[in-house]
Amino acid sequence: MHPFEYTLADDADQAVAVVTADPHTSFLAGGTTQLDLMKDGVLSPERLVDITRLPLKGITHTDTAITVGALTTMEELAADPVVRERLPFVREALLLGASTQLRNMATIGGNLLQRARCRYFRDPTVPACNKRNPGSGCAAITGIHRMHAILGTSDHCIALHASDVAVPFAALDAVVHTQGGNGRRSIPLTQFYLPPDDTPNVENVLEHGELITAVEIPLLPAAARSHYIKVRDRVSYEFALVSAGVALVTEDGLIQEARVALGGVGTLPWRAWDAEDVLRGSRADTEAFRSAAEAALQGARPLPGTAFKVELAKRTLVRTLETVAGAQS
Amino acid sequence: MKHAETETRLSGQSPPEPPRVDITLNVNGTSYSLRVDARVTLLDALRDHLGLTGAKKGCDQGACGACTVMVDGKRVVSCLGLAAQYQGREITTIEGLSADGELHPMQAAFAKHDAFQCGYCTPGQIMSAVCLIKERRAETDEDIREFMSGNICRCGAYPNIRAAIREVAGEG
Amino acid sequence: MTTLETGRTVGAGIDRVDAPLKVTGAAHYPNDFSIPGMAHAALVGSTVAAGRIRGFDLSQAQAAPGVLTVITHLTAPQLERGPMTLLGGSPPAPLQDDRILHYGQHIAVVVAESAEQARHAARLVRVEYETEKAVLGIDDPRAQIVENPWGLDTDRGDIDAGFGQADVIVEDTYTTPDNTNNPLGLMATLAAWHGDALTVHDSTQWPHNVRTSLAAIFKVPESGVRVLAPFVGGGFGAGLRVWSHVILTVLAARQVKRPVKLVLTRPEMFTSVGHRPNSVQQIKIGATRAGDLVAIEHHGISSVAMEDDDYEPVSFGSAVAYACPNVLTRDRQARLNIPCPGSMRAPAEGQGNFALECAIDDVAHAVGMDPLEFRLRNYAEEHPLSGLPWSSKALRECYTEGAERFGWSRRNPEPGSMRDGRLLIGYGLAGVSYPFYQVPCQARASVRRDGSAHVRSAATDIGTGTYTVMTQLAAELLGLDVSQVRFDLGDSDMPYSPQAGGSGLTGALGNAVHTACRRLVQEFLDVVAGDAGSPLRGCLLDDVTVGDGRIHRVDDPAQGESYADILARHGLEELSADGRSTPPRSEDLGMAPAGAFGAKFVEVRIDPELGLLRVARVVSAIDGGRILNEKTAASQIIGGTVGGISQAMFEETATDAGTGRIANATFGDYLMPVNADVPDMEVLFLGGPDRATAVGTKGVGEIGLVGMAAAIGNAVFHATGRRIRSLPFTIDQLML
Repeated sequence: MHPFEYTLADDADQAVAVVTADPHTSFLAGGTTQLDLMKDGVLSPERLVDITRLPLKGITHTDTAITVGALTTMEELAADPVVRERLPFVREALLLGASTQLRNMATIGGNLLQRARCRYFRDPTVPACNKRNPGSGCAAITGIHRMHAILGTSDHCIALHASDVAVPFAALDAVVHTQGGNGRRSIPLTQFYLPPDDTPNVENVLEHGELITAVEIPLLPAAARSHYIKVRDRVSYEFALVSAGVALVTEDGLIQEARVALGGVGTLPWRAWDAEDVLRGSRADTEAFRSAAEAALQGARPLPGTAFKVELAKRTLVRTLETVAGAQS
Repeated sequence: MKHAETETRLSGQSPPEPPRVDITLNVNGTSYSLRVDARVTLLDALRDHLGLTGAKKGCDQGACGACTVMVDGKRVVSCLGLAAQYQGREITTIEGLSADGELHPMQAAFAKHDAFQCGYCTPGQIMSAVCLIKERRAETDEDIREFMSGNICRCGAYPNIRAAIREVAGEG
Repeated sequence: MTTLETGRTVGAGIDRVDAPLKVTGAAHYPNDFSIPGMAHAALVGSTVAAGRIRGFDLSQAQAAPGVLTVITHLTAPQLERGPMTLLGGSPPAPLQDDRILHYGQHIAVVVAESAEQARHAARLVRVEYETEKAVLGIDDPRAQIVENPWGLDTDRGDIDAGFGQADVIVEDTYTTPDNTNNPLGLMATLAAWHGDALTVHDSTQWPHNVRTSLAAIFKVPESGVRVLAPFVGGGFGAGLRVWSHVILTVLAARQVKRPVKLVLTRPEMFTSVGHRPNSVQQIKIGATRAGDLVAIEHHGISSVAMEDDDYEPVSFGSAVAYACPNVLTRDRQARLNIPCPGSMRAPAEGQGNFALECAIDDVAHAVGMDPLEFRLRNYAEEHPLSGLPWSSKALRECYTEGAERFGWSRRNPEPGSMRDGRLLIGYGLAGVSYPFYQVPCQARASVRRDGSAHVRSAATDIGTGTYTVMTQLAAELLGLDVSQVRFDLGDSDMPYSPQAGGSGLTGALGNAVHTACRRLVQEFLDVVAGDAGSPLRGCLLDDVTVGDGRIHRVDDPAQGESYADILARHGLEELSADGRSTPPRSEDLGMAPAGAFGAKFVEVRIDPELGLLRVARVVSAIDGGRILNEKTAASQIIGGTVGGISQAMFEETATDAGTGRIANATFGDYLMPVNADVPDMEVLFLGGPDRATAVGTKGVGEIGLVGMAAAIGNAVFHATGRRIRSLPFTIDQLML
């Protein structure tokens, strides 16, 4: 690790001011991404501002939404009774997202800002990585990329967004609340991330020094009947090859409302709007589910190592839809 | 490009010292004051500065669980936190699990069920298992499997680890 | 030869004697040690696979805080390559020239006041390479091919005539990938010089080899080198050799004149301490319609480093597995720009058995015979190469009793016929004939005035249970309670022990302990030979037996006395005796010394839509000769089985084209089973003591792994009708 100064923040305004003022200063929260990347030599801030003691922890509920303080841990959110009852796929995604040890450390804000798992990004000895070193190329495209994205990719980057919980968050139109040098703002999650295009080094709309303070999750009626399926080589403790988060409302066998998002396939948490359009008003049957899956993957750009993911993602989505629909009927 | 033999250490100019932090850690009921390089992780502070080598380094990337310790009653991987972040927290390591030479029931069960071989992952497994019971996730075999999956045992003692946990959970 | 009689202590599944240390964190592994004033080292690895180092820019690294020195090939002293060992040549000495032979090759070592400083400075070393096109694939036409590297190619009968008699022939290509040992313990070395004397804590499976090698490399007397490894965080073969990082740590300590500690990072564990090399195997098997094997032809090629060696005869096992009159095996190696491969748990057997046992199933299927019945029909009653009887072989019992326990008879032979809801169910089995291996070993045993015994040898216990089983064995042989015996190991100042490897240590060490303990009893008899006060006066070794801390006469058990009494009466503090074992030879025995045998039975469940494969049940039926501790031996089989599940379903070290970089050198990317992947499993031990040695054990450290890949592959075939011939079996191969 590059040497750095450590500062413990006790005031959010001050923390934001300090980080905003210096491009070589970063926030430190749960540490599970930040320190990992610093050990790998990918990040080398000269100062870390530890925000873990800021009062940004805790979950508040209204009838229509829950608001999750950015420093709430994954484990704390998964244990929340409202999440358990009304957002089952959020809970599932959290529990399937990391080991218990990591869930006790990783914060919700940090989870959304986790960096790509791409081994070319995470190894500074690899020259070609547009995300780490803009303009240098992408070693993953011609390299080993079984764990990479097939949706939202560009010729400059195919790195996956590996968050699990961001998948149901995207499906639910969660909103990210931030505080930055220019004040506070609220950003819908589906507009929070930026596709790699030709600037894969810019992953989201945050300014340097802008701090996520909370995530607001709408309590949609559909979400009470929801499910998250994560497909991976191991039974547990692994990033997704593909995953799907689905919430449905059906009435008399017809789909009234559908929320669908995919993980493990996109350069960002992948809201499958096209699939939702197919589903809404359709009969809740396998034929419609398959059509929705086809629509969801229509824009896929697989590479040799990810070719299998297209069909796997479709089948995973169909299975998830069947599971939710089956639970309703 | 210059070759190595032509390189000499800049004389008369000592390199800047890495930033240090003064911290106090509460470990196993004892308070320790330390002055460490800010880069020192909780794991390295325990092992290299406090001589508590029970927590092990297996990957240094939060992926194996060998460094699992308890912080304020919850299990964490100590390799992915800075020591400085854990001031004021109650840290429990494998060395603090049992008192007066008596084994904690989980330690005794691991011995009885041969729930380890080389023993390197064992402190982390035991700390995780103790927390698992507190989390009420030892009540079904499925839960034990899932919620012990953050601790890798390369020797492959998993069935025996589950047997040890089942026994302690059954007693509780 | 006096064989061990069955007693109270040997065989019992007592808790490990080192359990209290291991469950409390008090067992100290090499990287747990510190020495006041010690400095820390970090390595710089090559980022290219082939070429030359044109130059370094060390200015930033040398100027970094806390840095004491940076050693490169430009400043390193000339070091000789380590000596020839039982396991072949030593790895090349590091930092001897500007050539790059593989990615990750150690090209510099940075020494600093703290580990953080050393690691940071190592990243600041700038290297300019003259890169050459690396040879990275077995199929690269530029790869030099080594034919018959170990002289083990076999020709039995007439292979062409054999295939001429065959009604059915299967012929296929199997591939296995690179696997990385990845013991959980990061391998570490802590070296301290005191003049020409050297003390080294090292994550080794073989302290004596480290001692001998370091003495030779640094040209110091072997007697002054002490290597300590009382606990090692696993090895699986990675600790068998004196790798570059060990030498560099010792060199660094000499240069900075301080103790130096180096702990490999996890990514460095993929390039520094060996790995199971990939293989491509062609196998062709012929059988008659009645189900008799008439020809087996097996060709294997494995990768090997440019300038190092590795013992990996993948096809050889096919020559000794079945009664088949015509067999041809050929092994070759392709020299590549890769990190040195080395032994990994069940080297060669783990790869070769996969091809053989899958192909055997295909033949059985082709002739319409149950695969279990087919294996029993072609059972090798005698050692197929020598024609001698085996010193022990209970593989038939393993097949039949394992099948009974597993419920093999419930298997519907039709592929794809067994289901549970949407899941396909498959039953598969594989047979294993593990090779015999034993090398000389020594031990020393003492009994003290208080009646306790101390037994020691410079062996290691890498999780195998050596501490425990040798304590039990010595207790049995001396007639003591386990609590009265202390067994020490892991110190090169102790009597010579070979490596913990090749499933050979328990046999070698057990028989050395046996000899030492018998001689120790003889020492006591010698003391009382003319002692008018002793009821044992004049007794020969065969006239006495031991128990309850005493020696007594066989013909009159009431006549005897305790060790303590003998020592006290003769004013002795203790008596000691040395023992050594030598491997049994078939020409002396008139038998072929046998390794362990086993049959693996596996049930898999497959979600065919999502390609999800899960191992639901495993029964391992093992002939391991005499079992010294049924609990630790079962753990060895369970652990090996988990390693086999891992080989079958998860492990694949991925290498980048061009640079030869390991593309998945972390635990997040290189998959090994977690708790949820592993079912509960049954282990049956069958057969009795082996006749080749006094103690009658057969090594069980590796056999548990072998056969799992084939048994799972056979179960996948049974579940789906699809034969997968490339490891690991991943979702993309399994989606139907």
